[in-house]
Amino acid sequence: MDGLSWVMLIAAIIFFTAFMLVPILSILYNAFIFNGQPSLRVFDLMLSDPYYFPLKAYVDSNFPFLHLDLRVRGSLFVFQGTDRLIFSGYDLGVILNSLQIALATSLLATVLGTCLAFIFARFSFRGKGALNMLIQVPLLFTPFVGAIGLRRMIHVDGVLNILLSDYLHILPFRIGLEGIVAVIAVQVLTFYPIAFLNSFNSIVNIDPTLEEQAENLGAHGFGLLRRVIFPLALPGIEAGAILTFILSLEDLGTPLVFQGTAAEKTLTYQIYSKMFSPIGDIRPEATVLALFLLMFSLVSFFLVRKYVSLRKYAMVSRGGTWKPRSQKATGWKSIVIYAFIFITLAFAMLPHIGVILLAFGDVWGATLLPVRLSLRNFTTAFSDPTVISALGNSLAYSGVATFIIAFLGTGAAYIVSRKDIPGKELFDTLVTMPMAVPGVVIAAGLFFTYIGNPFLSPLINPGPLLIFAFSVRRFPFTVRSSFAGLEQTHVSLEEAAINLGASRIRNFVSIVLALIFLNVLSGAMLSFIYSMSEVSTSLVIGSANPRYGPLTLKMLDVLYMLAGGPGVAAALGLLLMAMQAAAIGLSTMLSRQRATALVGV
Amino acid sequence: MILTKVSIDGVTKRFGEVVAVDRVSAGIEDGEFFALLGPSGCGKTTLLRIVAGFELPDSGKIYFGGEEMTDVPPNKRGTGMVFQNYALWPHMTVKENIEFGLKMRKMSNDERAKRVAHAVELLRLGGLEARSPLQLSGGQQQRVAVARALAIEPQILLMDEPLSNLDAKLRIETRTELRKIQRELGITVIYVTHDQEEAMSIADRIGIMNRGQLLQVGSPRETYLFPRSLFVADFIGQATWVQGNVSSKDEFVSVTTPVGSIRGKFAPGTDVDVGGKVIAVVRPEHLSLRPMDQANEIRVKVSALSYLGSVTRVFGQSTGLNLIADAEADASLSVGQDLALYFRPKDTLILASE
Repeated sequence: MDGLSWVMLIAAIIFFTAFMLVPILSILYNAFIFNGQPSLRVFDLMLSDPYYFPLKAYVDSNFPFLHLDLRVRGSLFVFQGTDRLIFSGYDLGVILNSLQIALATSLLATVLGTCLAFIFARFSFRGKGALNMLIQVPLLFTPFVGAIGLRRMIHVDGVLNILLSDYLHILPFRIGLEGIVAVIAVQVLTFYPIAFLNSFNSIVNIDPTLEEQAENLGAHGFGLLRRVIFPLALPGIEAGAILTFILSLEDLGTPLVFQGTAAEKTLTYQIYSKMFSPIGDIRPEATVLALFLLMFSLVSFFLVRKYVSLRKYAMVSRGGTWKPRSQKATGWKSIVIYAFIFITLAFAMLPHIGVILLAFGDVWGATLLPVRLSLRNFTTAFSDPTVISALGNSLAYSGVATFIIAFLGTGAAYIVSRKDIPGKELFDTLVTMPMAVPGVVIAAGLFFTYIGNPFLSPLINPGPLLIFAFSVRRFPFTVRSSFAGLEQTHVSLEEAAINLGASRIRNFVSIVLALIFLNVLSGAMLSFIYSMSEVSTSLVIGSANPRYGPLTLKMLDVLYMLAGGPGVAAALGLLLMAMQAAAIGLSTMLSRQRATALVGV
Repeated sequence: MILTKVSIDGVTKRFGEVVAVDRVSAGIEDGEFFALLGPSGCGKTTLLRIVAGFELPDSGKIYFGGEEMTDVPPNKRGTGMVFQNYALWPHMTVKENIEFGLKMRKMSNDERAKRVAHAVELLRLGGLEARSPLQLSGGQQQRVAVARALAIEPQILLMDEPLSNLDAKLRIETRTELRKIQRELGITVIYVTHDQEEAMSIADRIGIMNRGQLLQVGSPRETYLFPRSLFVADFIGQATWVQGNVSSKDEFVSVTTPVGSIRGKFAPGTDVDVGGKVIAVVRPEHLSLRPMDQANEIRVKVSALSYLGSVTRVFGQSTGLNLIADAEADASLSVGQDLALYFRPKDTLILASE
């Protein structure tokens, strides 16, 4: 291998070792230590505590000797009085709660996303382009405020209930979502576009002749869907399902918003709130929970990499024309399609409508709409110098992180795409792993590892460590996008340059980078924007010295400290949302290929 | 004096379990048009890439004009290369593509302009300089690729199936043109192709490869008339072959076969003892419908006929044997007809059976 590739390889390995592997291992190591001795005592304590784990087994001398106690609390729904139906869900203890939330979110988001994907891939109807964009609006993800907006809409005293029950009298009682069920609802509405994009991509990438051949042999309608289209698209659907599963597991923002309910009893919230003892030591309970969280997400990550990539069907077609299959929706089909899309949209847009109303609402009590609209929330936000400095911090940290990501990420993608070295699979796993490592785990690990470091200690200034945290967390966006660009660029284009006398560096700059520049840029933009709205590492590391904290930390602060806080936070959220919309729009325009960075594992 | 421009010395290259190139040695002479011919997967492209420096051989050496090149990186070898897919950079214009190698050599603007103009003229690309490669036809793209490789005035030009993406008519025009340019410039060309007709028509010498081995090197005429193995006989042109055993050797070799005794002569370098297994090979044009003196004779039933314009190709069957013969275009033949075919011993090549 040439010198340049070695530099790129070694730089990426050092970076990930220092800022991902060592921090994770250092924190996991502590799960097995009790009072300075290696011990499983913390596991034992926690697994026998119903707060964490519902199953208790004990040995009894009476028959039957082994007893199992299942201590589940709560119920799926409960009537409060005669006019309120509250859904809250079962409380299975912290460890299983996260798992049940992630499973439910993944299942519901995948069903919803896949149905939408089939509709958009196989039917043409009026307004399809605009609806396709709207359907993906939840990708504009804003920390806290989306969930706050949604809470405002679906709360038992919220807009939807007032509208449907008090004004329209459609519902005989108000419906409230709380705790576990509320978290699932918010997450499904937030993450289904990821499932949608993955399914959609794999459906449109099916060679149309495979379907035509099946039709030629007599398959049609639902049989064709079940026997040919669905199996061929399955790897992509599965990848989307597992991605939403991981995103749900590692989500900290939603449980934070539903603080005070059973939503607190989730892994991320518990790790976040119990991580550090008052004297700054890491608490063993948090490390054990981190171990569980990491295990759940890594297992699913490796499952998808092994199982799904094994079944990814290489498109073996040779030549011929690629005529996408799409039929015009007419009659009852179009009614079903429009109804499905509009009902989905009505719910999917709730958080955003809620955020907009919150941001522009001046006084808003238990009424359908805010009493008065004004820009007061914006002026409050931007006249506060600490908000301005937090915004500046976020821009700076995310900007620097994006440069690191673009530099290391392009190199890593190049090696994975072009070089045939032993252990390449491992390297590829390493650089895509951040998407499966929950933010709170990385954050806690980084905090713990570098707290005594004179240059990186977050107590002095959390900036440098936040930069590295963002770089690790948002690395996969740029790697994947660059990789997609490289895969579309034939290696002979580089060989031609080298044959004509170009050095490795010259080839990399004037051929490789020039050809995949737009891919790198579109990936880097997503890395940047999702660094800006990063929650978990921002909160954990930033709170060590809030003076240099990022915007998301400030938003949480504003949310709970200020009177009328949600409105001001919503105003900031709206700003982030606008930036995300611009970045995603631009990124799509540049790469002319939506969201290569958001698809697959 | 003939100089050896490119020496390939005992080169072996493995990819995992597969031996892509197996102990290949060959010398390509200065100014020679050398074709590497073989079926897909035979190792010819790998061998070309080893010469270009994109692959390192596991063992063996490469020399350019006596100077060892084995470990010289590809950007320092000074070869020109034309890729099968042309590898034109879509983010550069035609002119920028052609100019690239000259910039790498830090040539002055004047010199660059002169060279580009020359290459453009040579390949008839006038007026297309400012276009993007994406706006060109396949044939034009191919010429830009050649112009780009020639602009650096390489002594050695490497071409990897450069015509395989063109349609049949253009392919024939372009190869004539390539041959003309090569003669004018006097450069050494190594040309990879799987098309035996193309190799025969364009090359001074052909190296035929199969399963990583270089089986035979020779002029088109030599390889056609005197194949040293059944593979070469079969790959270069059409042939009928009959298995048998040597029954006697004198001026000609007599071979006992299931279709009777056949007389022929050993291919150069072949000698098999009486009783040994051999294969008799005959070209279609040497099989005649007319009786000849002292000729071998095989009786066949016509199984298929194809009219090729200049001749009618006759496919005949005899006890487990498939024959291909060329008859006159207007010969009145019909499928199912019994036929006697005659061929001279001097046109019958006897190869050792593998």
